[in-house]
Amino acid sequence: MAGTVIGEGLSIEGDVSSEEEVVVQGNLRGKLTTTDAVSVGSSAVIEADVSAQSLTIAGQVTGDVTAAERVDLQAGGRLIGDVKASRLTIADGASFKGNVDMDV
Amino acid sequence: MNGSVIGRGTVVRGNVRGTGSLEIFGRVEGDVSVSGELVLGEESAVKGSVSGSHITVSGAVQGDVRGSEAVLLERGARVVGDLTAPRIGVATGALVKGLVRTDGEPALGAPRRAATGGARPMAFPARPAAPAPKPAERAEPREESESDAPPPMKEPKAAREAPPPPVVPALAKGAKAKKKKRED
Repeated sequence: MAGTVIGEGLSIEGDVSSEEEVVVQGNLRGKLTTTDAVSVGSSAVIEADVSAQSLTIAGQVTGDVTAAERVDLQAGGRLIGDVKASRLTIADGASFKGNVDMDV
Repeated sequence: MNGSVIGRGTVVRGNVRGTGSLEIFGRVEGDVSVSGELVLGEESAVKGSVSGSHITVSGAVQGDVRGSEAVLLERGARVVGDLTAPRIGVATGALVKGLVRTDGEPALGAPRRAATGGARPMAFPARPAAPAPKPAERAEPREESESDAPPPMKEPKAAREAPPPPVVPALAKGAKAKKKKRED
């Protein structure tokens, strides 16, 4: 089980910094930083810059996204913001508006 | 499943609110308010007020704790702040520094606190000799009250009790007549 779960119905306004996996299914406004993975569930609405080891997006993210490893934008996911990661996948059916920097 | 968890390695700087239950094992610097059950684990630390339906505290809280159903402090809990809930449990080994109150639905805190604060200076100078019955008088209407309506009611009551009994004529009955007779 993930270390931190922001469940559906929960909303956080402020900075979240963590050293463990973070699963977001609720609302987050502010900033999210973790040294582990971040998973953004389909019911999640995030208005924050996100920085993580790896990032999976199935919900809505508005903000710049940085991953040390990879970013996966899944079908139904919606990302408005710049991506900085060495690997990026965008699934068919995902929405994305922003710049990509793959560090080449 | 609607449970949220703030894990041991997570720090939140800001407010957390929502529906459903929440378990905190990490740190929160801000207010926490959920409609469901709230568990503050052993190594958790919250700097801010905390509210939920059923709150179990095993960690540290620096702020008021309000439970709409219950607040339970387990062994090792440290709370600096007021506890308010219809049911409150404090285990041996739990530390509390603050006002503990078993109340009905926690009403708006600010006005009520202002009301009691206003009543105190009224009551104390009036009957300085008997302070013991005062808390009971104050506690009773507070328990019955849902809002801050009763406090203004009891202020005049205290004031009414305060003045000394009506002044009885200093002269005994018939004294004037005797005086007159003597003069005669």
